[in-house]
Amino acid sequence: MNALTVLAADEFKAPGLELFEIPPLWDGAPFWLTKPVVLAVLSSLLMIGLCWSAFSNPKLVPRGIQNVAEMGYMFVRDQIARPFLGKDTDRWMGLLLSIFLLVWLWNLLGVVPVLQFPVASHIAFPIVLAASIYLLKIYLGIKHQGAIGYFKNMMFPPGLPKFIYVLLAPIEFLSNLIIAPFTHAVRLFANMFAGHMILAFFSMVGFWFLFEKLTPLGAPVGVVGVLMTIAMTGFELFIQFLQAFLFALLAAMYIGGSLHPEH
Amino acid sequence: MVMPAMSEKERRPEDDGRDFANAAWSIPSYLLAGIILYGGAGWLLSRWTGVAVFTPIGVILGVVLSIYLVYRKFGR
Repeated sequence: MNALTVLAADEFKAPGLELFEIPPLWDGAPFWLTKPVVLAVLSSLLMIGLCWSAFSNPKLVPRGIQNVAEMGYMFVRDQIARPFLGKDTDRWMGLLLSIFLLVWLWNLLGVVPVLQFPVASHIAFPIVLAASIYLLKIYLGIKHQGAIGYFKNMMFPPGLPKFIYVLLAPIEFLSNLIIAPFTHAVRLFANMFAGHMILAFFSMVGFWFLFEKLTPLGAPVGVVGVLMTIAMTGFELFIQFLQAFLFALLAAMYIGGSLHPEH
Repeated sequence: MVMPAMSEKERRPEDDGRDFANAAWSIPSYLLAGIILYGGAGWLLSRWTGVAVFTPIGVILGVVLSIYLVYRKFGR
């Protein structure tokens, strides 16, 4: 319905922030009951359903859905978890696989026709995930390295001249405890936000110049818009996967860093 | 066959991958932290004293310190 209000104008207007201002599902619905919330719940159900049907009754020789899900499991284990967690990998696979699959599903819903909204482009969703990982990181760090040891290992890397710690410890603190979790959430948010905007822009160009205001000069522009929409959707599929991978990878990195101090 | 030289601790091949990823994902964060921290301190100092030059000095100090930190941590 946002698209229609934009098209009611007489000149072409690029889509903007109104793409992300989503009203409740129907008049009188609770204010929090919006499309992204429904999509987030749907992704969780899809993920639970996928893992349940794949792993609830596993066969030694995997077939069908178990086969597919095991490929995902192997990918997360070998590419994300093992490099950072080593022998602790198996304990954390449940969490990491869930994060990877959930974020990927969130992102994928951005290009599924009709649904077409990337959940993570509302920053609240990535913030909740990143904040949970952040709390887990601090909890594990204090549990495995001691309350003082954790902050000492973090802020005072060994082997530096004494006086320089005064200058460097604040940088370590700011970097590890404030900037790292912030960028963890923002990276996912910004990629999904920008991707949605780009797709909306090119499909609007195609729609406007081919259907709304068809003119001999405008038609080629509309064709370019349609072609770019297709190309960018392919690119977006790649970015969606990449961002899910990175989000889970950084989670594994933070957990691994808390379990074992560096060097 | 000549055995490759080992450092004090025995290193597995995946250690290199992890160290590289750690460095690659931490370095921008350190640089940003240094600039924000010391650039911010310099900016505050500029506001108090009215001497504008403290802001760029703080920013440069922040960059230098974070590069030094990154070099000592990941440079081996």
